[in-house]
Amino acid sequence: MTRRVAVVAGGHAKFGKRYDATMRELCAEAYKPIYDEGITQDKIDASVLSYAASQFTGQGAGSALIADYLGLADKPHLRVESACTTGTASLRAAWGMVASGLYDVMLVLGVEQMNRVSSARATELMAQAGDMRWEYPFGISFPAFYALMASRYMHEYNLPHEVLSMIAVKSHHYGAQNPKAHLPREVSLEEANNAVPICRPLNLYDCSLITDGAAAVVIAAEDRVKEFTDEPMWIKGIGAGASEMMIQDRSSLTSIPGAKRAAKAAYKMAGLEPKDIDMAEVHDCFTIAELIAYEDLGFAEPGKGREIVENKENYHDGRIPVNVDGGLKSKGHPLGATGVSMTYEILNQMRGTAQNPSRQIDDVQYGLAHNVGQSGQFVNIFIFERGW
Amino acid sequence: MSEKELYLGYATDKVVTPFFRKFLEALEQEKLMKSVCPNCGTEFLPPRQHCQKCLSETELKEFTEREAKLYSYVIVDFPPESLASRAPYVVAIGEFPSGLRLTAHITNLTSMPEVGMPLKLAFDRVDEKKITYKWLV
Repeated sequence: MTRRVAVVAGGHAKFGKRYDATMRELCAEAYKPIYDEGITQDKIDASVLSYAASQFTGQGAGSALIADYLGLADKPHLRVESACTTGTASLRAAWGMVASGLYDVMLVLGVEQMNRVSSARATELMAQAGDMRWEYPFGISFPAFYALMASRYMHEYNLPHEVLSMIAVKSHHYGAQNPKAHLPREVSLEEANNAVPICRPLNLYDCSLITDGAAAVVIAAEDRVKEFTDEPMWIKGIGAGASEMMIQDRSSLTSIPGAKRAAKAAYKMAGLEPKDIDMAEVHDCFTIAELIAYEDLGFAEPGKGREIVENKENYHDGRIPVNVDGGLKSKGHPLGATGVSMTYEILNQMRGTAQNPSRQIDDVQYGLAHNVGQSGQFVNIFIFERGW
Repeated sequence: MSEKELYLGYATDKVVTPFFRKFLEALEQEKLMKSVCPNCGTEFLPPRQHCQKCLSETELKEFTEREAKLYSYVIVDFPPESLASRAPYVVAIGEFPSGLRLTAHITNLTSMPEVGMPLKLAFDRVDEKKITYKWLV
């Protein structure tokens, strides 16, 4: 028998090139607003550190460092790693510990510091998340995996690149209104469509950023929630999925099989359907990933995701607002922080506290976070419900 | 007795197990090896030492198909550090008539690749320690 679990508070560091901070200070910046709301260290039973890639910093034993820095050295802690889904994997692990009764209140901290190395080195380190025997020797970088999906998608559905650029324009439109975003500026469709190539068919504006940052949430068991907030966000559905390691082994490159499985499981657990979802945070590590996410999540039929883009249904006042915080593209993608940041954004949208009214979605009852790792090997999908 | 170093592709993962070494030595003879499970008959390309279905030790057998079709591609303009000197390069997934697929560079393109175009498997010595299979159009 499990207990219901809610997200009761959240905090978010400024994303960007944070040469002024290490992962310690970033985590403090994310936890401080939670502390200021009254969830002090003594109220927290244990913590999970979402920290995907120690290769960027050289810092081992990250969860010990961070727990100590935040005054939590006497509380149990652990680190979770599953590439870009580390944030929601951490939340999933913490949910299990609270739902089972092991702990009542847990802090989930996501952090990554990626700009301690050059872009070429960062690209190298992320390429090493491909199969080291069969993919790495051919220089298949992280964007290259998604470019392989994009080439196939563009072929099968006759998709012009401009549709992908329209997604980038939307991301930057909202990132420009998010004070936490790494690259908060608007881009024109022409600029996005004609940008310098990175991994053709993907160009600079199809790719997410190499970002430093942190985000934090606190979750609590149902019988403790009232101590912390009158506005809890219940974890209503969780779905996790996986896909083949090597991209050539996928039955389809126009969908992420693990994401479809995860979505099905999350909707089932929540007792909801795609049409019930009021907003989504999707894993737009590349523009093609956002387009595919619309279809994997059931917001559009296969091959029809472009209609959501072309009709601007993905804007904050549209049918299914997606990534109106700027997404990984403009807000940034500090690997371990990303899934926690998605959760934070949904909490704020539900509470009506998106920092700028021009990106505040009306009346969010159900929000969905779609977090994908590497090129789809890991997927976590969370469905959250407003609890007031 | 030390055997000469031998690696696959352009960036090198220097972990070469006895199974992988056999694959590389065959590749030097311009033979591409698949693996076949003696227990359940499943075939793998590229090969894997253990069958994905029944975990039996597989056997290396020569893979003889040479003609494939381009399933998908990427032109890598901004490479990982280890392949900086080769960029831009084209990575292609080719699909053989049997349905098996292989990922390698296309090295002789003179125009933009197109999904569905015919590819031909070939072999190449990259340098004295590295060998590879590749696609030609």
